[in-house]
Amino acid sequence: MECRQANLLIHEFLDGDLDELSNQQLQEHLRTCQACCQHLHELKRAIAFLQSASHIHVSADFTARVLAQLPSPSKANRVSNWLRQHPFLVAAAVFFFLMTGSLTASWFEQDETLQVSSAHLDKLKIDKERNVVVVPSGVTIDGDLVVRNGSVEVLGKVKGNVVAIEGKVFLASTAQVAGDTESIEAIFDWIWYELKNIGNDLLPLAP
Amino acid sequence: MEFVEKRLLERAKRGDREAFAELIEIYKDKIFQLAYRMVGNRQEAEDIAQETFLRVFANLHTYDENYKFSTWIYRIATNLCIDRGRKKRPDFSLDEQAEGTEGLDWYSRLSSNEQTPEERVVTQELQETVQKALNQLAPKYRSIMILRYIEDLSLQEISDVLKLPVSTIKTRIHRGREALRGRLNFM
Repeated sequence: MECRQANLLIHEFLDGDLDELSNQQLQEHLRTCQACCQHLHELKRAIAFLQSASHIHVSADFTARVLAQLPSPSKANRVSNWLRQHPFLVAAAVFFFLMTGSLTASWFEQDETLQVSSAHLDKLKIDKERNVVVVPSGVTIDGDLVVRNGSVEVLGKVKGNVVAIEGKVFLASTAQVAGDTESIEAIFDWIWYELKNIGNDLLPLAP
Repeated sequence: MEFVEKRLLERAKRGDREAFAELIEIYKDKIFQLAYRMVGNRQEAEDIAQETFLRVFANLHTYDENYKFSTWIYRIATNLCIDRGRKKRPDFSLDEQAEGTEGLDWYSRLSSNEQTPEERVVTQELQETVQKALNQLAPKYRSIMILRYIEDLSLQEISDVLKLPVSTIKTRIHRGREALRGRLNFM
């Protein structure tokens, strides 16, 4: 083996990635070559020298000095950090904000006229003087009955929910309502009602 | 260790200063050591170490958790040392040597309770020799030799810190060793 090649192997040896075969070849060469042996010895000495550099320590108040120089946590910083760390809550809050916005808007925008929504408008009687929608006795209404700006008087049967918005639901003793009856008079009731509807739509399988 | 570090980092990211203080405690000597061996001057090395931690704090939210934290902080410190060296190349000479010995002096005072006076002199001479030999290396070799033999990083870790291929690191270590051998034999 030539000394130049041996020199490469010496460095690989010092890096600790010399394979078994090359290692044997190198040892073989070192036994016969005084110069390379000396070279390896000097390199090892240089490394030991460097490693002997004693480990010095930073002054004792170092940590305190660094901490003192940190930028003070501004309010905006804290808020933005918090927002960055809770993306889901932020999304939920934005969603909730927009939802309440549109719900309250639809509450305030409505006009004062009586509105009725039902699948069987023809079977209902509307008493304009009292502002009441009447389900006459002996009549069966399939599906929900929703009345806005008025009350509901049920004498007959409703196979669904009865909802009066800004009004009341009166049930006669003969009345039969398959679903819920609800009177909504305040804005919070209204928001709650809408949220429940959304919930029911999103979770159709829930009881 | 790594688990503890991860927890501390998460807390520090949320702005927890106590957690950040603990991170400083873990790394301050390593970073200071690296800086000191790079610039050969205690005061300047402390400045660099401080700057390193301030940068770490300012950039915590950009830290990529797929990498080791030590890799990241060593990279910041190495870059600061090399930038510093570039800026003050012109007046790199006698002053710095003098200040360097002053730093060593201070160190040996700190550890003097373990050494006899003669031992102290020998240690100090050795320290000066090592630092002189390091100072004579070009920064790109100096940083790698320090990371390898004083900070005890593996070749792979050094390659991660400097973002250079392992083969380049090896070549530089080979040349660095040869250069050091030359200097130390000469002295």
